[in-house]
Amino acid sequence: MTFIKFENLSVHYGPIKAVDNLNIEAEKGSVTCILGANGAGKSTTLRAFSGLVKPSSGRILLDGKDVTGLSSDQMVERGVSMSPEGRRLFPDMTVGDNLRLGAYLNGTRHSWKSDMERVFSYFPRLRERIGQNAGSMSGGEQQMCAIGRALMSNPQVLLLDEPSLGLAPIMIAEVARIVRTINAEGISVVIVEQNARLALQLSDYGYLLETGRTVLEGPAKELQHDEHVKTAYLGGTMAATS
Amino acid sequence: MLQLLIQILMNGLMMGLVYIMMALGFTLIFGIMRIVNFAHGEFYMLGAMAVMLLFSTLGINYFAAVLLAAIIVAVIGMVIERLLLRQFVGRELNGMIMTLAIAITLKAGATIIFGPQEMSIPRPVSGVTNIAGILIPNDRMLVGAIAIAILVLFYFFLRYARAGLAMRAVAQDWEAAALQGIRPQRIYLLSFGIGCALAGLAGALMAPIYTVSPFIGEVPMLKAFIVVILGGLGSLPGAVVGGLLLGVVEAGVATFINTTVATMVSFALVVVILLFRPAGLMGQSR
Repeated sequence: MTFIKFENLSVHYGPIKAVDNLNIEAEKGSVTCILGANGAGKSTTLRAFSGLVKPSSGRILLDGKDVTGLSSDQMVERGVSMSPEGRRLFPDMTVGDNLRLGAYLNGTRHSWKSDMERVFSYFPRLRERIGQNAGSMSGGEQQMCAIGRALMSNPQVLLLDEPSLGLAPIMIAEVARIVRTINAEGISVVIVEQNARLALQLSDYGYLLETGRTVLEGPAKELQHDEHVKTAYLGGTMAATS
Repeated sequence: MLQLLIQILMNGLMMGLVYIMMALGFTLIFGIMRIVNFAHGEFYMLGAMAVMLLFSTLGINYFAAVLLAAIIVAVIGMVIERLLLRQFVGRELNGMIMTLAIAITLKAGATIIFGPQEMSIPRPVSGVTNIAGILIPNDRMLVGAIAIAILVLFYFFLRYARAGLAMRAVAQDWEAAALQGIRPQRIYLLSFGIGCALAGLAGALMAPIYTVSPFIGEVPMLKAFIVVILGGLGSLPGAVVGGLLLGVVEAGVATFINTTVATMVSFALVVVILLFRPAGLMGQSR
């Protein structure tokens, strides 16, 4: 059944329309990717979902309930958690404190300690780095910390904005492994990527955005073989963007 | 000679601790809200006024009066934040003009209510302690001890408390903080309240040592400004280092030359820092 639904969603930044009449649906426990070039409106879509920007029209439904225009903390409360573009860790705080802040809303010491253990089971490297300042880690470790921090709130939906950006190939493979592990535990994932090849490998269903509109959608396996996707996103242009 | 140096260091430390309390709140508010709080000295003045009312007029125990004064100033600060400053978060220039207006209004309000004259408060403790020839007035020692206790408490709050972590998170990246479920507006309210409480505490503690009038906030405000320029605007460790540096330099120059030259030297120090290290001693250039 449909778990996430965007109905005719539009988002404006001032007079500029960043997302235009977007319709997206995702099943519970699925991995959905939103593809497109820079400025296609991918990040804006996730920012609207996570409550950082308010849609100018349209609705966002989560498990049948209208969550349009709720604030970020209300979205976290409803189980939507985002690892933002560029990771956005708190660079002058330790890895431990970054993770603890991810569990800001789930009260007791006991509960965040056990959530942290779960995150360490996904990312054993973070346990070694617990007392280190987040800003001093490598890009790959920072990405793990950012995904780990997003998981600390025990989300039902994990939003990943450009998780592979700027990472070495071995780290990209690590991110892919983690997405599969998380998804296998029943968490729905929405992933925004310029690396279309990676995103389509991970996803069940994909949407292709151009200047804020959906130009193509379909099961990821079909999109992988679509001529338009192949020439525009799986060809030479991809390497230049990563 | 050694004894004189230690005496200067002690005098500098005593003043430095008060500067730190002023500067920490000032720099905390800037770091989190990007608001330069020119009304910070007025919250110092309100703390002194409150302790005067509670302690000398109503006769409440001095320590209870200081604590209550800090709470009263925090509440006044939070009301002002909510009603007047919230919309200026992140808009440095407009916020600065707003805090200037608040400063002038609070000063004028206090003059209307209490009059412009200088008033004095009985000292809760008196006498001088002599430790191996180093002389420390007891009232200063009390201020120093309370200031150190407050600063340690403040450090542990920021380092380990949930709300303290949230404040640091908002200061570093408010949007990323919001994504963790933190409501930045609550943190602004809390930070402004804490910053004002620290200023109010400084005023309440210094009230028996100096006189009290609606204008006593101006000098501490200026000192706090010097301290944060020295240490780096928005840097908490910078406020501590800058406060101690200013206190000791002033005490040294005042001892060997006089207090007027000490004030000049403190501004010369600011000029030198701004020329050669514009982000301050501990500040990060953005």
